Amino acid sequence: MGHDDDDDDDLEPAPAAGLSRRAFLGATGAGTAAAGLVTLSGARPARAAAPRVVGPGAVSISLKVNGTPRTLKIEPRTTLARALREELKLTGTKIGCDRGACGACTVHLDGAPALACTTLALEVGDRAVTTIEGLANGGSGGGKLHPIQQAFVEEDAMQCGFCTPGMVMSCAALLAKEPKPDRAAIQGAVSGNLCRCGTYPKVLTAVMKASGQKPDGFPLETRQAGTSAAPPPGTAWVGIAGGPMTAQLRTIPETEAKPWPTNAGLAVVGKPTPRLDGRAKVTGEAQYTSDVALPGMLHAKRVVSPHSHAIVKRIDTSKAERLAGVKAVFVVKKQEGATLVDPSTEKNGTFPKIRYAGQCVAAVAATTPDIAEEAAGLVLVEYEVLPAVTSLDAALQPAATLVYPARVNMGGSAGGGGAGRDLAQQGNLRGPTQQSEGDVDAALAASAVKVSGTFRTQVQTHSAMETHGIVADWKKDELTVYVSTQGTATVRDELATVFDLPKTKVRAICDFMGGGFGAKFGAGHYGVVAVELSRRAQAPVRLFLDRREEHTAVGNRPGTLQTLTLGATRNGALEAVDLTSHGTGGIATGAGVGNAAMRLFPAPVSRSRQYDVFMHAGPGAAFRAPGMPQGVFALDQLVDELAERIGIDSLVLRDRLDIDERDGSATAPERLARRLERKIGADRIGWGQRHAPGAEKGPIKTGIGVGTSSWRRGVEMDSACELRVARDGSVQLRSSVMDIGTGTRTALAMLVAEDLGLRPQDIDVKIGDTRWPIGPASGGSRTLLGISPAVRQAVHEVKTKLLAAVAKKLDVSPGELRIAAGRVESATNPRKALPWKQACAAIPTDELAAIASRPADWQGPRAEGYGGVQFAQVQVDTETGVIRVLRVVAVHECGRLINPLAIQSQINGGILHGISWALFEDRRLDGKTGRVLNANMDQYKILGARDTPLIDVILLDQYVGLTNTDAHGIGEPANVATAAALANAVYNAIGVRIRELPMTPRTVLAALRKGNRP
Amino acid sequence: MKSFEWVQPETVDDALAALGQAGAVPLAGGVDLLDRLKERLEAPSRLVSLRKLPGWGEIKVDAAGTRIGANVTLARLADDPALGRAHPILAEAASHAATPQLRAMATLGGNLAQRPRCWYYRAEDFACRKKGGTACFAQDGDAELHAIFGNKVCAAPHPSTIATALVALGARVAIAGKQPREVPLERFFVAPEQDVRREIDLAPGELIAGVTVPAAPPGLRAAYTKQVAKQSFDWPIVDVAVALVMNGRTCKQATIVLGAVAPVPRRAAEAERLLAGAAVDVMAAGRAARAAIAGATPLAGNDHKVPILEAVLARTILAAAAAAAAGNPPGGKP
Repeated sequence: MGHDDDDDDDLEPAPAAGLSRRAFLGATGAGTAAAGLVTLSGARPARAAAPRVVGPGAVSISLKVNGTPRTLKIEPRTTLARALREELKLTGTKIGCDRGACGACTVHLDGAPALACTTLALEVGDRAVTTIEGLANGGSGGGKLHPIQQAFVEEDAMQCGFCTPGMVMSCAALLAKEPKPDRAAIQGAVSGNLCRCGTYPKVLTAVMKASGQKPDGFPLETRQAGTSAAPPPGTAWVGIAGGPMTAQLRTIPETEAKPWPTNAGLAVVGKPTPRLDGRAKVTGEAQYTSDVALPGMLHAKRVVSPHSHAIVKRIDTSKAERLAGVKAVFVVKKQEGATLVDPSTEKNGTFPKIRYAGQCVAAVAATTPDIAEEAAGLVLVEYEVLPAVTSLDAALQPAATLVYPARVNMGGSAGGGGAGRDLAQQGNLRGPTQQSEGDVDAALAASAVKVSGTFRTQVQTHSAMETHGIVADWKKDELTVYVSTQGTATVRDELATVFDLPKTKVRAICDFMGGGFGAKFGAGHYGVVAVELSRRAQAPVRLFLDRREEHTAVGNRPGTLQTLTLGATRNGALEAVDLTSHGTGGIATGAGVGNAAMRLFPAPVSRSRQYDVFMHAGPGAAFRAPGMPQGVFALDQLVDELAERIGIDSLVLRDRLDIDERDGSATAPERLARRLERKIGADRIGWGQRHAPGAEKGPIKTGIGVGTSSWRRGVEMDSACELRVARDGSVQLRSSVMDIGTGTRTALAMLVAEDLGLRPQDIDVKIGDTRWPIGPASGGSRTLLGISPAVRQAVHEVKTKLLAAVAKKLDVSPGELRIAAGRVESATNPRKALPWKQACAAIPTDELAAIASRPADWQGPRAEGYGGVQFAQVQVDTETGVIRVLRVVAVHECGRLINPLAIQSQINGGILHGISWALFEDRRLDGKTGRVLNANMDQYKILGARDTPLIDVILLDQYVGLTNTDAHGIGEPANVATAAALANAVYNAIGVRIRELPMTPRTVLAALRKGNRP
Repeated sequence: MKSFEWVQPETVDDALAALGQAGAVPLAGGVDLLDRLKERLEAPSRLVSLRKLPGWGEIKVDAAGTRIGANVTLARLADDPALGRAHPILAEAASHAATPQLRAMATLGGNLAQRPRCWYYRAEDFACRKKGGTACFAQDGDAELHAIFGNKVCAAPHPSTIATALVALGARVAIAGKQPREVPLERFFVAPEQDVRREIDLAPGELIAGVTVPAAPPGLRAAYTKQVAKQSFDWPIVDVAVALVMNGRTCKQATIVLGAVAPVPRRAAEAERLLAGAAVDVMAAGRAARAAIAGATPLAGNDHKVPILEAVLARTILAAAAAAAAGNPPGGKP
């Protein structure tokens, strides 16, 4: 239905009229209000017209947005969030949950914070709407930032940035009301804004800074290693801050970039540097995948099964196809999850078997999201519902219903997970993945001291603020996908395989994305569906999962049940380790508990048997240090128990256990680091004052605990980039590697700037597009470990050519030229020098460019892993079972520190992920139906600002002399130790061990009731 | 979300008239309604916006008591200085509800009329009794968040924490309609045994116009606690409001309301009886709290609520006894 401008006036505010004010609220002196209330039915003044009913079709309305009147045509059901994003193209307002629970869509209505996803655009009326785009002076077009935006950038109060606009809006509303808010006020003001990357500590700091107050948190502490001198020729530095620094001989090919001095001798690298795209993130300018809108773009919706185990008998899409606006319908043919080794072992007729509630059976694409949703509802699916297994314990019963009728295989992803091929499979039990050394049973029988425990951990969903999504654009000559992914190249590869296209004909783009944490590597089933719809509709198709689908269908940290036994001498020498784990990633493999028990404190005799258990639930996926937090949760608690049994301090025991299993030495970089970290952290947390377990009086008790972190140093050799230096002096770096929020973009600019004597902001970093040289996926803490040596190599190659050209111009030898502080100059004759731009003018062709792949690691003593030590202080209310984390001290090493500011942000995030997992998060499945009960953002509980403790991060600069940067990642190790540290702290507080996560009031009270009985 | 008509009347009569048509539902802050529409739990044909109803967004505090319009937001309940002085526990309850954004949007009327957060009720795929089905899935399902009293027909606890405080203060709800009426808030809630399809006694064509809270009697000391597991935006494990009319250290009369433990806000009658005439100390509070949990019938996964309720109630009774008399700021003269 159409409306002309006159109609719009009907929707303008009218002066208030009516009698009820007098009736109900103005009835002064009335003994009860009832007398006045009679007139609540007061009639409309005769002159006023009856109110106009609008809709359900589109209606024209005007809104005052960021000071400008805007007219738009919307249906009454249109939310303000969608009106802003889809009609006004103000995409800084994000949709995270679309249910008013995450705060990503926070805007101001007349200055008060409001959720645009839960406000109908029609309801805004005459209230002034301010969005993130309108917060800065003069909007976001390069004007002056609002002080809170500026502080967010300077303090690095962001990672992926998807929650940032909402967070900024909440902070701005607070500052307008309270010029000097204290910590509690700030925590309260952003308590409705979820940040999955864990930026809360820096949000608090930013608000303090913007309000001219001194932040009350702990400042970042970076301990630098040794000398500022360059390593002697033919050597590289090896050592760590607080330990010895030695120059070790290395054979470095002539053509490769040479080792740097330590950070003490560098100008850019190692300095805390605000991220270069910070401004784009705090202004809403950053375009995320979910913001992509292509001309003629269709919107897709999936049809999913409400049953967790069923055979699809019939699918009737005819009604959906007939709905006006529907452009394509697709019925799923390919089975999700693991692949049967012998497909003939299952016969379901036409359609894939349903193995979890939420599995996709069909999808539609239509001209609007609303039509797509309606059409999805019109697809009729007939199911034959079968009995389901919906818990790990039920799946292990001898007569349990089978999830797969026969053996299956399933690969992992770039971020880990998965399990070996062709393992044994019996019933729903697959595996084990085994590691074994010596006769464990005999060694344990002979051990003087044995500790053993069974530990259970729950399913955690990734819950990135931006859900999985893709815009697929199938064209004859090329398939282009804009995708919220951690790995542009892995998406490209998967789509090339599925659609049988050459890799060169598939282009995957990810500029900004709102978090992944391991769940966003491949194209995914939903990605394939979107591409298929685009191919059929011959139009771009946008498919974004809603929050329910996100919790259900696209990954989780599997639940585990593990029994761990340690055998030791009375002196605390470890003799044997025995681990058996059963984990379940629903229909997926890869539910192990990592190799912590084998690696962290090695024993001469050990056995690890890790099984996957299938059940009718959504697939697990790699999730921030797959398996490791689960494994360490058990291991570090048992080590504490062992220390208590032997009667020595548990840090002393850890120092004793932390040795090389081959020769009993503690000289490997990782073991040396861990010793230093335990000492530094113990001093900082006040370990010496620790009381005996449960020793405090009263119902509320505090405690201190420790956890150990370790992560494998994994090298991704598919890490290439291109560096271009133009004759005008502009510099561009290109790679398909993307920035998941860790600050990769900024780190790459810092690396280039260091070697070219420029500033990071002088480097144009173009990443996240497979048209550029293929870089690593952002996962497994491998990003910089992979790409950074390639960047230095590309710079080295361009620089060599540049210096040759400049040398000719200056009439000096290239060997005596150096680049520093914006100049190319002779090391011996200072008069022979050119500023950068003039030097670049000497480039013989239009540009110098080099594509470099990652050079292999240099030969040297191995550095298997790296990590850190975390200490936690908690408070436990023994009457309510509520745990509060008061403080975390995190001491970490991760090779050369490229950008300590971003590393600190990631460590904060890892710790907060760990706390959230340990205390709150728990995907709940209904036992009968297998449906996810809390597939939302309020009952699936994610830690918020008020649950954030003070976090004290201490970084130790470290060099292993294996690459030209020695940079390692930090995402994984930051998350590994936290839950274990919390559990040990809870034990110290209450004197009772909690071997089950999450440690909710319910589990805490149950543990207190049960005491320490096994 | 299905499409619908929208109308924004500016008088109560027009609002009631607009609601007269089948399929019409009132829209206030929209916080809960939009959730239900998006989850496809309901598909109304018309939304009647109450935002422009004159005077419905006002608070009036005087000697006779307090009148609060249905459109007053939770943010104002939490922040209004006069209201905070008159009924501190109401402000306390409001300040702990939801999140700053939701408090700025959600209205008092909407808060009382919101539907339960039971995860079976909230999922389209479970045809529970509340949605006209024949089963309560929480009975042998996952009932961690559910009621521990009166939970046999339907175990969904009422989600309003504001109601817990209001009932303790003896609030009455004013209802607009063809026959305007006013009822004690406590009796406004409908137990599942009475009618499982609704939680409040509001007929089609009626609207919550506001709430009246009587002026605090002399000697009233009150406290409110919302016990959560997570400090940032969490539904309560339990919430309790305690209002004691004190004479020195002796309690003359006690009103104790338990939230999140029953399908309606629950009066702890036996606990109230035990406190009346008693000196309020640790022993008395403990006795009353124990009495309050008697007869609890926890379901699978929520037996922790019982000891938590006992602990929180005992603490809140003591906090009430130690609180400043209502109507006076802490530290002020009585």
